[in-house]
Amino acid sequence: MSRRNVELLFLVIAGAVSTMAYVSVYAGRFREINRLSIIYGLVFVGIFFVLHLLVRFVLPQADPFLLPITALLAAVGLTEIFRIRPSLALVQGQWLLVGAGLFALTVVLVRDHMRLDRYRYIMGAIGLGLLIATIVVGTTVNGSKLWIHAFGFSIQPSEFAKLAIVIFLAGYLNDKKVLLSVPTRHVLGVPLPATKYFGPLIVMWFLSLAMLVFMKDFGMALLFMSIFVALMYIATARIIYVVIGGGLFAAAAAIAVAIVPHVQDRFSVWLDPWPHAATTGYQLLQSLFTIADGGVAGAGFGRGFLLYANRQPVVPDLQTDFIFAAIANEMGLLGAAGVILVYLLFMWRGFRIAVFAPDGFSKLLAAGLAFAFGLQTFIILGGVTRLIPLTGITLPFVSYGGSSITANLMLVALLLMVSQRTNVMREGSDLERRRLAERG
Amino acid sequence: MNKAISRIFVVGVVLFVALVVNLTWIMVVRAAWFEDRPENKRSIAKELKIKRGELLGFDGSIIAGSLRRSGYYYRDYPQGTLAPQLLGYDSVRYGRSGIEQQLNEALTGKATDLGVQSWIDRLLGRKPKGADVRLTLVPAVQKTAQQQLAGLKGAIVVLDPKTGALVASASAPSYEPTSLEEDWARLRADAAAPLLDRPTQGLYAPGSAFKVVTAAAGLDYRKVTPTTEFVDTGTYVVFGGKVTNYGGAVFGPNDFTTALTFSINTTFAKLGNMLASKRLVASMQRSGFYQTPPLPLPRGEVVPSGRYGKKGLLPPDAFMDPLAVAWAACGQEKVLATPLQMALVTAAVANGGRVMKPYYVQQVTSAAGDVVQKARPEQWLVAMKPATATALNTMMQRVVNAGTGASAALEGIQVAGKTGTAERGDGTNLAWFVAFAPAADPKVAVVVVIEDTQSTGGEVAAPMAAKVLKSALAQPALP
Repeated sequence: MSRRNVELLFLVIAGAVSTMAYVSVYAGRFREINRLSIIYGLVFVGIFFVLHLLVRFVLPQADPFLLPITALLAAVGLTEIFRIRPSLALVQGQWLLVGAGLFALTVVLVRDHMRLDRYRYIMGAIGLGLLIATIVVGTTVNGSKLWIHAFGFSIQPSEFAKLAIVIFLAGYLNDKKVLLSVPTRHVLGVPLPATKYFGPLIVMWFLSLAMLVFMKDFGMALLFMSIFVALMYIATARIIYVVIGGGLFAAAAAIAVAIVPHVQDRFSVWLDPWPHAATTGYQLLQSLFTIADGGVAGAGFGRGFLLYANRQPVVPDLQTDFIFAAIANEMGLLGAAGVILVYLLFMWRGFRIAVFAPDGFSKLLAAGLAFAFGLQTFIILGGVTRLIPLTGITLPFVSYGGSSITANLMLVALLLMVSQRTNVMREGSDLERRRLAERG
Repeated sequence: MNKAISRIFVVGVVLFVALVVNLTWIMVVRAAWFEDRPENKRSIAKELKIKRGELLGFDGSIIAGSLRRSGYYYRDYPQGTLAPQLLGYDSVRYGRSGIEQQLNEALTGKATDLGVQSWIDRLLGRKPKGADVRLTLVPAVQKTAQQQLAGLKGAIVVLDPKTGALVASASAPSYEPTSLEEDWARLRADAAAPLLDRPTQGLYAPGSAFKVVTAAAGLDYRKVTPTTEFVDTGTYVVFGGKVTNYGGAVFGPNDFTTALTFSINTTFAKLGNMLASKRLVASMQRSGFYQTPPLPLPRGEVVPSGRYGKKGLLPPDAFMDPLAVAWAACGQEKVLATPLQMALVTAAVANGGRVMKPYYVQQVTSAAGDVVQKARPEQWLVAMKPATATALNTMMQRVVNAGTGASAALEGIQVAGKTGTAERGDGTNLAWFVAFAPAADPKVAVVVVIEDTQSTGGEVAAPMAAKVLKSALAQPALP
């Protein structure tokens, strides 16, 4: 079976699973299935079918699993959002449409990710610019400054900055990897490369410190610093960068805990939420209660106790950062672990693409994107389950939020492009290979 | 490069495995622990989806109904707010109290003794249905009692002396349970404590109303008879202190019945020292002092009466000097009593000396219509000998017919009662009246206590007691 037919098959399976979940919620809420509900479902199926056709024509050799996984996660997200607040699901559906558009635009305009390598410094500037803009003109929501309000929309620029920075780092580190991996001197018996190559590490450290202090957000800072450290490690294979980077981040986090009250609150709530049960710890504890209530099998889609009588969700921000609590409550341990497994599957496909990729830039790009995706998932899931301190970050494809779903759909587009090149280089005809080489 | 990529993927896998392990810990291993945490109000909120059983009056009318609004059930009070402090609240944010808490299992259909249908429902995983509870509260009497207290601070308790059934229980100031969540902060901050159920938790100096207990002890221990002669000079000097009468009155020669009729402090102070602390306290214990009355309410919602020190209830054998005994015999000193306790003492006199267990559940009917629980009156204590009760009954009739309780008299019905006025020292009084009627065959016992008043028990509390007694005796049926 060709890659695209595998993709179609899995899309059909994902569509069937999603339809069942959606119908279950719809029936639970309205006690009937009417034409409107079917139209909503058909629009969703239609979006992914169009994306499938696009990939079939433009990237025929791309990885067949990423799109079905995306569809499944988006369906779970839309279903839960619909379950929690139907009006928001409609908005989220529109954002999915916008995201699909950007996905298509990325695929058609970029077509091959090697082109992006040429714009690496522009990408770096865009990424940095987005983050600085957030710090300068951003609005504080729930204690963290992660949003920019513009043209009647709320945008979370860090979601897009994530992509730009990964592209920049992939290009930059691929270029400098040799220089960075050759030790020129020894400090305390530790081989270290020349000081000037530490520059980027220091810049990145200051950037994450600035994010901690000015955005008051632990999660995004951790994400950016980790992406950087991971890519440094992949580029140079030198564990010393991980050690130093980890140490620097720990120091930055300690500084932030000491001087930023919001970060301090999050940290003390993480250590012991019970004394703060009515104040700063309320959200986390309600999340834990809601998750614990799910049990092994869960209450079933649309049947969990997620809304109070006045239609307020049991956990504040249930449809965004805490959507996993809703999933765990309704799908139980089995379903929640299943969702985690689906994320792991996505990450696995991403890293697999990186391993087989033909060149350094492609490897770094794919690994960076897969790592960013996986780590973001871990940060929010660990946060809502009190494995790590809670931080406001979205669950990719599932959380309510336009920036998140559009940026992550672009991430999928990039990964598909890398896998297209990888597969053509490995298996394609000479003609195809030559065509690709010319383009790169 | 590939080696590094694989290693990072392995780190990712480890992190995700940690997520699943932690999730299993939360959702399976610790699930029950999380559910039982007091911070977890999910179970209360979930119960809003169950049709909560109704609380009915003794006459069968709905006191607290269950109203369905977009899939959730809410309490509805078709007769207005009756006894909200006793009934309690059922709030997602602030938990439950009172009868709502005490009977929650039955009201939500979760109790194990709700009959076969409830078992079948549970086995089939059907949503349980709450059982209806018929209370012993009589709405008409309750309303009369609440009207008496309108605008005042105080409490009224009405008991059936022969069964121990709680006929009415009013506490003022009051609150609206339907707007509890909006009013919560204000209610909690209010110094007048509108959320407090004064009948069961209000500790008051009983004042002269306590003389019923002292008299019972004197008669029981044969220290006095109703005709024992005393001489009052207005002052009784004892142990370096003195006991005087209310308003500085001097009564001269009086017999014991007269002493109760006019509430002569010096006579009761002398009787106190004739008994000594041991016998006085023993008699108090027999009427229920120093124990928590067995009215089934959540922990802490019924408090014991007795002598209170700075750290709470003193032990029964705590030392008392003769001056302390003298004042304690008049219901002052460190003696504190709840209106419920005073109602139990009064009911004991009315019931030949026997104290019945107080209760408020007349009948529990499961959602399937089976009567699963019925009230069975039980004796709790024997407060005094039958002869003592008979003698006290006669003496208390004199209080109403010719003494301080004259304003409690009812036409055609013989009332027996005792006034009490505890001076607070800040110019305000605590006014008491304890009574039962009809004296020959008592059907109702009532206690009225009014805080922060300028008047005496006979002036302010006795007329209220009369109105409540009249209302109760006009009822076609009492528990």
